[in-house]
Amino acid sequence: MSAKLHDIEALQAPEPHMHYERPGKTGLMDWLTTVDHKKVGVVYWAAGAFFLLVGGLEALLFRIQLAVPDNDFMGGETFNGLVTMHATTMVFLAIMPMTAGFANFLVPLLIGARDVAFPRLNAWSLWTFLGGALVINASFLFGGPPAAGWTGYAPLTGPEFGGTGIDFWWSGLALLSASSMAASINFIVTILNMRAPGMTLLRVPVLGWMMLVIQFLLALSFPPVTVGLILLGFDRMFGTTFYNVSMGGDPQLWQHLFWLFGHPEVYVLILPAMGIVSEILPVFARRPLFGQTAVIFSGIFIGFVGFGVWAHHMFTAGMGPVADAAFAATTAIIAIPTGVKIFNWLGTLWGGKMTYPTPMLFAIAFIPIFTLGGLSGLMHAAAPLDLQQHDSYFVVAHFHYVLVGGALLGLFAGTYFYFPKVTGRMMSDGLGKAHFWLFLIGMNITFFPQHMLGNEGMPRRIYTYPADAQWDLYNMLGTIGVIIMTVAMLIFVYNVIVSVKKGAIAGRDPWDAATLEWLTESPPKVQNFDFTPIVLSERPVWDHKYTEGMEIIAPEKGESFHMPSYSWKPMISSGFVLMLIIGILLNTFMPGNWLWIVAALAAVGVVGSVWAWVSEPV
Amino acid sequence: MFRKTTKQLSDWLIAATSSRSFALLAPIAVALLLGACSSNHPRDTLNPAGDGAQISAWFFWLYMILDTVIFAIVVGALTIALLKFSKKKGDDDSLPPQNHGNMKLEVIWTVIPTLILVVLGVITIGGVFKLAEKPAEEQKVIEVDVTGKQWWWEFDYRDSKISTANELHVEEGTQVALHLTSADVIHAFWVPRVSGKRDATPGRSYPLYFKPFEKGEFVGQCAELCGASHARMGIKMIVHPVKGADSYDNWVKGQLAQAAAPTTALQKAGKKVFETKGCASCHTIRGVKELSQRSRTTGPDLTHVGSRTTIAALALTNNEENLAKWVKNPQSVKEAALMTNLNLSDADAKAVAAYLFSLK
Repeated sequence: MSAKLHDIEALQAPEPHMHYERPGKTGLMDWLTTVDHKKVGVVYWAAGAFFLLVGGLEALLFRIQLAVPDNDFMGGETFNGLVTMHATTMVFLAIMPMTAGFANFLVPLLIGARDVAFPRLNAWSLWTFLGGALVINASFLFGGPPAAGWTGYAPLTGPEFGGTGIDFWWSGLALLSASSMAASINFIVTILNMRAPGMTLLRVPVLGWMMLVIQFLLALSFPPVTVGLILLGFDRMFGTTFYNVSMGGDPQLWQHLFWLFGHPEVYVLILPAMGIVSEILPVFARRPLFGQTAVIFSGIFIGFVGFGVWAHHMFTAGMGPVADAAFAATTAIIAIPTGVKIFNWLGTLWGGKMTYPTPMLFAIAFIPIFTLGGLSGLMHAAAPLDLQQHDSYFVVAHFHYVLVGGALLGLFAGTYFYFPKVTGRMMSDGLGKAHFWLFLIGMNITFFPQHMLGNEGMPRRIYTYPADAQWDLYNMLGTIGVIIMTVAMLIFVYNVIVSVKKGAIAGRDPWDAATLEWLTESPPKVQNFDFTPIVLSERPVWDHKYTEGMEIIAPEKGESFHMPSYSWKPMISSGFVLMLIIGILLNTFMPGNWLWIVAALAAVGVVGSVWAWVSEPV
Repeated sequence: MFRKTTKQLSDWLIAATSSRSFALLAPIAVALLLGACSSNHPRDTLNPAGDGAQISAWFFWLYMILDTVIFAIVVGALTIALLKFSKKKGDDDSLPPQNHGNMKLEVIWTVIPTLILVVLGVITIGGVFKLAEKPAEEQKVIEVDVTGKQWWWEFDYRDSKISTANELHVEEGTQVALHLTSADVIHAFWVPRVSGKRDATPGRSYPLYFKPFEKGEFVGQCAELCGASHARMGIKMIVHPVKGADSYDNWVKGQLAQAAAPTTALQKAGKKVFETKGCASCHTIRGVKELSQRSRTTGPDLTHVGSRTTIAALALTNNEENLAKWVKNPQSVKEAALMTNLNLSDADAKAVAAYLFSLK
């Protein structure tokens, strides 16, 4: 049985009447004042992709340094700065915002909503994120980048040892934290309250679910690290001694606060990629996702347990055997729900009728590559073994398999898959496949030998190594792999730019997919749907096409949709928050009363702009 | 510099297409096994020379076997699926089976991994407690206070006045207890062939217990990012035999002696430089000048510096020429080194190097 009952492309509904409080802007002004989740999502994704290239460039530079032993291409401080910025950029400014791009663009479409619950707060999150990214990278221009690693272990970040880059680092991260927390509340409310009629929680697509889980992770994990960052700021600005051991402080306090955030953060990076893969595999296997409920609940379980494993990053810190044993055990538990997901993906492919356009290639490659990263993670859970692997290149290999082979492959898969929905045009499949193969080969040449380097005793974050350590072969391979990945990324960028203008026209449902986002036009109109879908299964669009599983209610004649109007307030309010951070940075370079003057002005500005915001008619 | 990099790059490219490095492109699990098996490596964690490293290596192989099996299952299933369930030329558009899952399978692939992990968890927790076991009181224990400093290691032997730097001397078959702390930022002590690593945290003292069972020299380095010259904070562990000229007891005897008196004119001049040009404000030479108080910036005890094989935390081989280079301009050898550049003349640097090297 393959004949379609309904043709999605032929869907027609009367043009609804749109009601706005204020008429919209156009051109650049439109992008600056937009509250449309789709435009916000595109900016998030584009910013993330840009910083992905920046972070890649930083990696390319320090891989040149590491290509040969005793190299003097750069010194230790420069190297430490680039390593710190590479990781900070990739985690906070590349993968997270690209994920946020998918969340923003897709979540309302996945659940059949017209926008997010708080559209202006959404825009505020975007501008605050951009402000934080700006602050962190401004360190390159003023006094050099932070050089204490992305983990920023006290007291290397303290006033005694850390350079001015640390001030940009902690204050920029504080901004990103505020942005993420606001966004997380927004999306929790959206997903829980704004689903289309009939879409029960278990009918929310897996990607929607993973996005919901990570919003809870963000909302609960950012507060501890924000406290940690503010304590660090107090130590640096006002001479408090939270992390200063000679004054009774405790450097390990930072490690606990950081990893209490840092480990859930790992799942913030990987769960959306798992969600994307869970959407793509069924489409190209032409089967439902195997065990969808199990995949959803395993994601929720990972989210919960993710808060109980943070100290496995501290097995060498001397917590004592009881804590080590407890965290080793909780960490191993994570392997169970992860395995459930992997087996269910395999179950989805098994019995399918697979085709292999670019998104499917990335999604399939995700399975073994992520599995490898997960398995080396299982090794780290064994505390006695981790004493060797901790802070060695084995760990570097592990988290790159999880974050490049996992999160990034997932995000690439999602990009190729959803590009037609976002732009209305297909990306080139040929270029996509070139990108895929080069990237896959490059990443394995770079990161696989790093397992061996770790076993051979090479610590991470060293800017040079002696020839007699015999680490040269694998390091040279690492550098070659990065060059291959660079070529792959250039192809990707070219593909994106060309396809936006010249890609083949996509239509509503180019992949014969199953979920609500494919019901609407590509790109979707500002109101997302001209009609109201009534969801009767977890595959509404598929069932509509093949088994009559969805009803569609067309708007009645004369019915009008109230849509949120453009607003300057989010950007202005976010600008005043940024001003507060600038005051802190002025204090670093021109100690005096600058901080207080600027802070007072900024506080007045924040209060004023929020007042204007809440009293603005929408 | 950059030219050196690119030249090496091409050299390696040629080597890579002709030799064993090509094996890396072979299937991933095989490569990991091959790589892990190369045991002639100077810092191989899987070629243990101490009981700590032995336990870690045992766990590595345990998990390696498990991981290989799991990975083989996943890749095997995926490969079969790709071979069997791809759309082939000439296939019609009919839909494959539309089943939504299988409860029995879900239970199987949840319960079996859980059982495996419970067993592994028990073994792992056993290993954690074994590594943390305090050495029995009645046996001989070499106890050393280890202080990480930017960017070198200070080793103070608890039962004697011996204080040395970067080169830790212990005895084959004798229990060692290191008590790790730091004078500035967090460092981590790691000699891969002997034991797993342990952080050296300011304000705290954490123990690291191990028993080396192979004599020889083992290298390692700081494993926690600690600033600009983190990469140049090496450690050498010398495991002495119990008997013979090279025994640990003989080494202790030598180190307990007061500093040797200078014999040549150059050495005498060097001693004068040491005493008058500022070296003595940070460095101790027992019998010549002893610091009454130690601080974060205090440099290594130089009483027997000539007996060390390396200087500046393994940055240079120890000889007169390198010592002169180091004292003349420490920052040229090691970025941001905290040792003060005293602007010694060439003659002074040469003299003090001759004197220091004579302190066997």
